[in-house]
Amino acid sequence: MIRRLVVLMLLVGGAVLLEPLRAPTEGVIAPRSLFLFGILLLTADTFGAIAHDLRLPRLIGYLVAGLALGPSVAGIVPAGVLQDLGMMKRLAVGLIGLLAGAELRISDLRERHRVILLVLAFQTVAVLAVLLGAALLLRTWLPFLDGLSDARLFFVALLFAVILTVNSPMITLALLTETRASGPLARTTLGVVLVADVIIILLFTGAFSLAQASLGGATAGAPEILLRLLREVLGSIVAGATIGGVLTLYLRFVKRELVVFAVVVVFATAAAAQALHFEFLLSLLVAGFLVENVAPVRAEPLVAILHQAALPVFVIFFAMAGAELHIQEFAAVWPLVVVIALVRIGAVFASTTYAARLAGAEPAVARYGWTGLVSQAGVALGLATIVADRLPGVGLAMQALTIGVIAFNESVGPILFRQGLERAGEVRAP
Amino acid sequence: MQTTLAALAVITVGYILAYLVFDRLRDRFGYVGGAEYVVIGFLLGPRVTGLLGAEQVQDLTPIVSLALGWLGMQLGTYFRLPAMTTIDAAHLRIAFTEAVGTFASALGALLALFHYVAGYPWPESTVQAVTLAAVATLSSTAAIDAVSRKTGQVTSIFPVLQLTARIDALVAVTAFGLLLAVFHLGQVSLEVRPPTATEWAVINLAVGVSSGVLFHLFLGPRGRLDEAAENSRLFVALAGAIVVASGASYYLNLSPIYTNLVLGFILANSGSAHRDVTRLLLRTERPVYLALLIFAGAAWSPSSPDLLFIAPVFVLIRLGARFLGGWLGGGLAAPPELKTPKLGRALLAQGGIAVALAVNYTQVRPDLNADLILTATLVSVLLFDIVASREVGDVVSRVSPSGGSVNQDAPAAEPQPR
Repeated sequence: MIRRLVVLMLLVGGAVLLEPLRAPTEGVIAPRSLFLFGILLLTADTFGAIAHDLRLPRLIGYLVAGLALGPSVAGIVPAGVLQDLGMMKRLAVGLIGLLAGAELRISDLRERHRVILLVLAFQTVAVLAVLLGAALLLRTWLPFLDGLSDARLFFVALLFAVILTVNSPMITLALLTETRASGPLARTTLGVVLVADVIIILLFTGAFSLAQASLGGATAGAPEILLRLLREVLGSIVAGATIGGVLTLYLRFVKRELVVFAVVVVFATAAAAQALHFEFLLSLLVAGFLVENVAPVRAEPLVAILHQAALPVFVIFFAMAGAELHIQEFAAVWPLVVVIALVRIGAVFASTTYAARLAGAEPAVARYGWTGLVSQAGVALGLATIVADRLPGVGLAMQALTIGVIAFNESVGPILFRQGLERAGEVRAP
Repeated sequence: MQTTLAALAVITVGYILAYLVFDRLRDRFGYVGGAEYVVIGFLLGPRVTGLLGAEQVQDLTPIVSLALGWLGMQLGTYFRLPAMTTIDAAHLRIAFTEAVGTFASALGALLALFHYVAGYPWPESTVQAVTLAAVATLSSTAAIDAVSRKTGQVTSIFPVLQLTARIDALVAVTAFGLLLAVFHLGQVSLEVRPPTATEWAVINLAVGVSSGVLFHLFLGPRGRLDEAAENSRLFVALAGAIVVASGASYYLNLSPIYTNLVLGFILANSGSAHRDVTRLLLRTERPVYLALLIFAGAAWSPSSPDLLFIAPVFVLIRLGARFLGGWLGGGLAAPPELKTPKLGRALLAQGGIAVALAVNYTQVRPDLNADLILTATLVSVLLFDIVASREVGDVVSRVSPSGGSVNQDAPAAEPQPR
């Protein structure tokens, strides 16, 4: 490992030596971005191996590598480079979405629907209620609630709570892929996290519209909000069904070059989602789910290919996610970050444990089910960014705290989930 | 919304039609290319549906540079010295004579074309002529391997053809790498003296060598994980290595294909990981090639009409140079038992590296007829890939010791990465 770290240092040194020979041909992707992206990949891979040796999830290593090289710490990979490489991250998210959908088996859902629904309902309601209560209680210390009263206070606090209710399909899938875990805990967590993704889009759209209306922005009425919700979710489902249909036809009649085809599908979906305003990740989740469970073709070749591509995709996604963490922003609010994160974990623990017992789930699920629902990552960060962009005053003030809590959960969540899977005896690849 | 839906419909229908056409060619002629992917790229790109806009096409640069480097590295791993020492000297003589003969004759004709017909000054003519001569010299083993699998024949000509295709690629990539170093474009920082052409060539080589040594150390011995996990990790490490080496070359306006060829050569000749590296590169070559075709299709735009005649002329020049080079290598330089004056006919397929060179040219020299070079290359690759298998079959049947001809009507083998 020391040898790898020395090589990485030499590479960075080499970059400094090459600096004066720079040709001033700046394209949309600056030449430097490419070189630094390579260094980020290699560093993430190395840190992932170190994390593995320390019995931590590899993705913690990827995140730390991104953080260490990113603008927050060493600044070797500046923000401009991350912007240049946005397309790579989008590709990673799309492929993970497709894989996540395909991993969700209808038989599992049928067999475990009671426990999945109860955990989902209790977890969502409890976390939402507890975080809403905590935000209202702590409002004098929360800058984004400062000066708000009545409906405004309530709806903005609700929006904050909704963002922090989100789970992370990415982290769940990354850990299940890494550990090759299989068993009741793994299947229940995946089911809850993926279904929760759909629920959260509905909740977020509603909470966002209410907060926006109460703050005097776009004053949308209830029917309008409902229509928007339906359009977004139904549009994503219809788009997912269409993509699933295309994938099915391809698997039925062509069946070759599946990696290339999957990448083209993801890029085309990203472009279509932007133009037609549907949810990119949700549509690919639906497509993967339909191909695996409904389509009259064998989806195994596609799933196998996506599994093979999973590790590089996770390295790219989490290394870039780590580099995008702005730890300075929440350095000033860290006591609040810790309090809110611990309150959230407490709510997840209590609600999940109670719901699993109520549903008569296996002891492993009742005892460790909560560990899989602590993580947060891309979806939550995306929602926080939307709020910051569209509600500039309140949203920007909220962003530092939400990103702080998400970063906390992004770091602690995977460790807890891995521990949970290990203790439940479901880990196949230590 | 309607525009997007129409764009999606155009892409779907376009792809299906292209797939059906080229699938028939695959069945009838043993077509080994992936032209339908150029069609997808073109349909997705800014010229047709615009689903991938010009900026988004540029955003794909990391994938494209990875693809360029990947193909370069794969070529480099072929030249493993312990294996090279066992090659018959006559085979090497045929291969080098054919490669140099093809390159020289194509270069001569193209120089004349660009300088005397198109009217470019000598430096510009040289840059374009060397690039297209390198593209003309390239040949791929895809058609040779497809025919070898299809016929099941074991003849002495197959190893010669496979070696010659690799040497062709080596000569072409080296010539193109040297071209970008010698005719280097771009300013350096004010604190340093601008390197001379020789110094740029040395810098290019040094980037490849130092990358090779560093990644040999980085990869280290094989780990303790199972094969699937080990392959995934090797993929990440290799992708990182290639992106770093390609990035360094791209940064200096040099050729990432050449840099990665040197990197691949060093990895193949050092350490215990060479087998895993080679296997992984071979397994992933086809998707990488197709990704490059999609990008080339998306980035393609017709060149200026007054220069479009160069594309068909280039196809003819390549045909002539291939035949001449083949006659020199397979006719004049070959020992009697390997005499194959029509060797060039068996080397018509061009494959991924030709597209890679053209794409690389468009990145490094966008100022000098980049569209023309890409157009000529795509036309040539698509045409020659159609006829390549049939020509290989014909040449092989003539030199086959059994004298048996190849059954052209048998179903074509699935194209394999080579």
